[in-house]
Amino acid sequence: MNTMTKQPILVVGAGITGVSAALEAAETGCDVILVEREPAIGGRVLRNHNYFPKLCPPACGMEINTRRLERNSRVRVLTNTRVTEANAGADGWSVKLASAPAYVNDRCTGCGECAKVCPAKVPDPHNLGMNETTAIRSPHVDAWPTTYTLDRSACPADCKACVEACKYEAIDLNASAKDETVSASSVVVATGWHPYPLEKLTELGGGELKNVIANVNMERMVAPTGPTEGKILKPSNGEPPKKVAFVQCAGSRDVNHLPYCSAVCCLASLKQAIYVREQLPEAEVTIYYIDRRAPGRNEDVLTRVAEMDGVKLVKGKVGKIEQGQGDGLKLRLEDVEAGQIVETEADMVVLATGMVSNLVNGDLPMNLTKDEDNFGLDSLEQKVIVAGVARRPEDVAACVRDATGAAAKSVIAARRA
Amino acid sequence: MDKVGVFVCTGCEIKDAVKIDELEEAANEQNAAAFVTHECLCEPGGIAQIQKSIDDDGIDGVVIAACSHRMKQKEFTFDPTKVVVERVCLREQVAWSKKPDDEDTQMLAVDLLQMGLARIGKVKLSEPIKEEISDTVLVVGGGLTGLTAAKAAVDLGHPAVIIEKEDQLGGYLNDCKDVIPEHPPYDTVAANPIGQLIKDVQANEQIKVFTGARIIATKGQPGQFDVELQNGGAAQSVKVGAIVQATGARPYDASKLTHLGYGMSPNVITSHDLEKMITAGELICPGNGQIPNRIVFIQCAGSRDENHLKYCSSECCGTTLKQVASINRDFSDIECAVIYKDMRTPGQLEHFYQGVQESTHGMLTRGEVDKVEAHNNGAHVHLKDSLLGEDVTIETDLVVLAVGMVPNSADGHAIRELNDAKLRIIKNESETQVADATKLVESLKHHEGTEILNLDYRQGPDLPILKYDFPDSHYICFPYETRRTGIYAAGALHAPMDTPQAIEDAYGAVMKAVQCIESNARGEAVHPRAGDQSIADFFLQRCTQCKRCTEECPFGTLNEDAKGTPEYNTLRCRRCGICLGACPERIISFPEYTVDAVASMIKAFEVPEEEDEKPRIMAFLCENDALPALDEAAAKRIQWNPWIRIVPVRCLGAVNTVWIADSLSRGIDGIVLVGCKRGDDYQCHYIQGSELANTRMGNVQETLERLTLESERVKIVELARDEFHRVPQVLDEFAETIDECGPNPYKGF
Amino acid sequence: MASNVLISSTSFREALAKKGGVTAARCYQCATCSSVCELAPEGLPFPRRQMINAQWGLADKVAADPAVWLCHQCNDCTVRCPRDAKPGDVMQTIRALAVENLSTPKFLGKLVGAAGSTWPLLIGLPFVFWIAFIYAVNGFTVPEAPLAWHDFVPHWMIYAVYIPVTLWVVIAILVSGSRYWNLMGQGVTRSGSFVGNLIPAIKEILAHKRFSDCEAARPRKTGHLLFLWGFIGAAITTALIIVAMYGFKTPLPLPQTHWMKWIGNFSALLLLFGGLMLLANRMKGGQSAGASTAFDTFFLFVAFMVGLTGILTEGGRLAFPPQIAAWMYVAHLSFILCLFATFPYCKFAHMVYRTLAMVHERMTGVASR
Repeated sequence: MNTMTKQPILVVGAGITGVSAALEAAETGCDVILVEREPAIGGRVLRNHNYFPKLCPPACGMEINTRRLERNSRVRVLTNTRVTEANAGADGWSVKLASAPAYVNDRCTGCGECAKVCPAKVPDPHNLGMNETTAIRSPHVDAWPTTYTLDRSACPADCKACVEACKYEAIDLNASAKDETVSASSVVVATGWHPYPLEKLTELGGGELKNVIANVNMERMVAPTGPTEGKILKPSNGEPPKKVAFVQCAGSRDVNHLPYCSAVCCLASLKQAIYVREQLPEAEVTIYYIDRRAPGRNEDVLTRVAEMDGVKLVKGKVGKIEQGQGDGLKLRLEDVEAGQIVETEADMVVLATGMVSNLVNGDLPMNLTKDEDNFGLDSLEQKVIVAGVARRPEDVAACVRDATGAAAKSVIAARRA
Repeated sequence: MDKVGVFVCTGCEIKDAVKIDELEEAANEQNAAAFVTHECLCEPGGIAQIQKSIDDDGIDGVVIAACSHRMKQKEFTFDPTKVVVERVCLREQVAWSKKPDDEDTQMLAVDLLQMGLARIGKVKLSEPIKEEISDTVLVVGGGLTGLTAAKAAVDLGHPAVIIEKEDQLGGYLNDCKDVIPEHPPYDTVAANPIGQLIKDVQANEQIKVFTGARIIATKGQPGQFDVELQNGGAAQSVKVGAIVQATGARPYDASKLTHLGYGMSPNVITSHDLEKMITAGELICPGNGQIPNRIVFIQCAGSRDENHLKYCSSECCGTTLKQVASINRDFSDIECAVIYKDMRTPGQLEHFYQGVQESTHGMLTRGEVDKVEAHNNGAHVHLKDSLLGEDVTIETDLVVLAVGMVPNSADGHAIRELNDAKLRIIKNESETQVADATKLVESLKHHEGTEILNLDYRQGPDLPILKYDFPDSHYICFPYETRRTGIYAAGALHAPMDTPQAIEDAYGAVMKAVQCIESNARGEAVHPRAGDQSIADFFLQRCTQCKRCTEECPFGTLNEDAKGTPEYNTLRCRRCGICLGACPERIISFPEYTVDAVASMIKAFEVPEEEDEKPRIMAFLCENDALPALDEAAAKRIQWNPWIRIVPVRCLGAVNTVWIADSLSRGIDGIVLVGCKRGDDYQCHYIQGSELANTRMGNVQETLERLTLESERVKIVELARDEFHRVPQVLDEFAETIDECGPNPYKGF
Repeated sequence: MASNVLISSTSFREALAKKGGVTAARCYQCATCSSVCELAPEGLPFPRRQMINAQWGLADKVAADPAVWLCHQCNDCTVRCPRDAKPGDVMQTIRALAVENLSTPKFLGKLVGAAGSTWPLLIGLPFVFWIAFIYAVNGFTVPEAPLAWHDFVPHWMIYAVYIPVTLWVVIAILVSGSRYWNLMGQGVTRSGSFVGNLIPAIKEILAHKRFSDCEAARPRKTGHLLFLWGFIGAAITTALIIVAMYGFKTPLPLPQTHWMKWIGNFSALLLLFGGLMLLANRMKGGQSAGASTAFDTFFLFVAFMVGLTGILTEGGRLAFPPQIAAWMYVAHLSFILCLFATFPYCKFAHMVYRTLAMVHERMTGVASR
């Protein structure tokens, strides 16, 4: 009955995939070390407002996962930590973990007094830099661990405002980084993704035209804790848009950008069309697509949105977006079904940008085999399993299925002689 | 618990909000064995003090009056075999969200402490269960998914049993030549793995294979399933710990696709028929035995269609591309053309789409097929709208319909309803009952004989169906949580998927199966209360056989004896407490969660007289969404009404209506239940908790009418986990409503 | 009996694939190409539709399609195509096949169409012819310096060759052109007069207005403009000389300072520079240049050589020894003969087909850009 492994399983990345893999392995009886480079777990999914198809909040599942983490002594969670060295051995891996200095430590009670007095501002990474927050802060409303985080490089010289405000000695501005070497029987790589940069889509106005945003930006805007407190507003003037255009495959399925399909953007845009219509019942929404990829039972989302008032689906990839009248936008495309070139206006464009594997950065020091798109590949012999979007673009439910399977494979790999 | 210590944290603005000495008075009134304050209870010094109390004074009940129970959990963990911890929330619910140094705030703090003390007096430590657990994983279905799962089970250290209804292993892939690729560069078809997989499984001594077999009965519970099967003439039985159902899917019945020409010509076939020909190495038109010059594939044949299958089967685009590639390789003179509505090759399959287009000089078009007619020896496919023009006709020799898949599932609920209806007809207790039952039998007749697992569960012999016949989990974050503990769906049965996805799914399902076995061996519950070692206790002497618990348990935990008395199967239980909420006799309890404990909380605090004009409101908040959201609101210092006393519950379904009655009879002015959304897109982690609560509150309304109380006094509100700004609003609005209702006339009785 | 039965031609698909349009298979009909094409009329966008028609081997549809020739091969579409399906190259290949299929007689179209392998014949035959002809007439005797060409190759020989050849090719292109015109006109109503719409079309061509609209191909605009005007200049010069010779009995050769010489030389320079620019652009390669197939290079090479040999002949008459200059002249005559003779059967024919497509566009009221 012993499925435990000699050494813990190391899970790199604590997004939904890493957290799920860690928990499934731990609840089966394994010791797990879960490593995350951000100050809190949750990764990309906690930057979503809702999931498709049920339009349910990511925090709902994450609450249960957080509880499971709290109550399971087999999982050791290290945030603000990266893998700096990894050496494969006969029995598994020897991995060096570097934890950033714990300027704010476990004594933090989350009272928030430090943030009240902090004079420094930084772009809020949880809100994708769309607004600013204080240098010392709770990472975000659902953050776990609940410990506050500090962007030390943003501190003005000699400033000690937070230290003085903290009653619990939870802040040490001179804290130093910590290194630790751990042994792991196998490794699950769940390093996730980042959005394809908008600035690379100049032909669509990305990075140049103010009211051209990415789907991840729209998602943040609609979230109540987002940069606009949940309101969909045009970046140019802070007014709600009247005509919103979604441009699918913006940078995906494109040899000039990402040659693969990012799998989730069709459904993400359909979901966001629902957001727009619910919040702005007068707004017109048009989704410009190549194929409508709503596979499986998610077809229901497509059916629902296609029948909504005020929403149109048009086949035809938008080829060009330029400044239009005022701060409006001019889109040029061929409406394939009508066989006409269309030049149309919108006052906000959402580019459905794709997902790029974080392995592209090459800063995970493991000799991972990657495919041409920088997605990682399993190696049972090397005792490394890749899961989630680090492995392939896929939606949340698929990531969790994948993570569960990865937990199994990591144990299987660990048990191999 | 016998010896209770109260430990109050004065940090996080608590001491600015409340007078600690009054708290001490309240604690002493309840005979607390210790009362300790600390300015930061969660820091090592504070913890040490608590530990000292436990060690030196034999404290076995620790009341921590500090922050929310969701904070500092690891810090406030003490030996769970010796100590029960009760968290009284003075920070989020008092210091952060109320006016400091205010009478109402003070009364609230005292009341919360008294509630906590009352509760801890009524709870017990859990005794972990120790049961004999089988470590074998049963895999039902010996296709790609089942075989992969069985192998993985063995690799995880667990023996496996495969039950396959056909005489040979392999399932759908036995008919296939190539498969969709799962490894880079993804641009060509991959070799069919099924042959090797079958060999590996057959050679594996840890896997017992029964072919030509069916399950007659699955008795017992996870960890202790007794599976009786029949293969050939003999009946056998195996003991297993968890089940992976991988019974796959079958092609949609093409005879229903007459509008696409099926049946009007032998040269209109399904993709499955085509696959068999490709595998056999001989591709001919069935009508005339000639090799076709051209094949036209019609995608979404009977899928994404209101009149047939509403959903998309996910794999047909990939399968057609695979077949085009196979044909190009093996029968290079045949030209293949594909008509689609959308090409669905997500993720890395996009490389496959591209690769097949390139290597086969593909001909593809989007189009709506209007009609398929026989023409000469082949067919005319008429497109009413396509990229090749409006109103075009394509001539072809062979038409292949890419039909969708229908899962090989059994609708557990429907079969149970059918059987119950049949029994009612036999019992013949009343004419109307028999008439209704007969109609029901008629409408459910098609479920006859479809049983697969034949579970000996009162709620039905198979997994409940979610949508479109797939017994999937409803949860995006927890895709394996079917409604039967210890039974996991995998592969095309689980959800529409292709072969690479099915392989992945097999690993996931098996991990959950093994996890269930291991958890049971440790005496622990599985998701969502993973690690919970408590079990329910049924005081059956007082049971009135109303059967509510049996029916309302979302997981089919309870069987029934001949009289209708529930039989509790501990290892099926998820410890949600919905049975506790259902029971009108209140005979069900958990060590740390009992009807009496909450009732004591309601009775623990003082209800001010009518003249004091200080209404009292009970708020039952689900600990999975409403309470965490409220914590977040408090962290932002959002304020809400101080008349409200919050009781966290496991689920709104675990709210017993006696608590409403108790509250009202005490003179409490209003009761609000705040929990998750119900309906088709329910968010309840126990499936139907909030739905049941809603129904029960509907019944409560009748009681309110009889007592001539305003119906607004009891309300149920649904919200989502992220709606932190709404919870205070909901509570404040309810407080306003109660204020308008006026004081409860039963005050002071 | 069903209407609109699509006739899909396997041989067309194969020919397309062989001739440089094999990438049409990659197209997934996103319509990026049509949306970035600055020349596509709103109501008749291209090249997306042409891509799928090519993929499906719909030879008839493609043959009757004006869009095929409205395209100026700027390759903006190829640069932006997310599938690397090179619609620019596919369109060019469709044009090459169109030229071949519309050719009268067919076998000449096929012969020139296979220029990749038949170029030795296509260029060699005129050379052989002129050498043989001159030999037959004067034993290939090169006169002494100072050279006057009519002493080497009398004018009657020029007329004897070029007039019939010109007549032949004019008839041939008229037949092919009208065939194309009729194909385009199937099922479509045209309004206005042909001539009435031809004149503005020609004006547009002379100004190369459409070329400016294409982003990726700005360098080509200048090169092609110079090249075209070089040709026109050369034609005008020839016409002027004939008028001078027969109308005014002006003796030849003209002095270098003669104004007609200036026009002629200027045209030659235009031809040369334009040709060099076009060649350089092709050699640079890359997506905006598109693939260079025999269809492109043959015509460009021959036309360029006409220009080059012309300059060398003129200069050579004055600067080279007569023997060498004479060969220059023979080369010049041969390249001209090759150019004229292949006019209806090679890329040169775009002159007629493209113009026809532009007139058709005006007459069918398809909204232009």
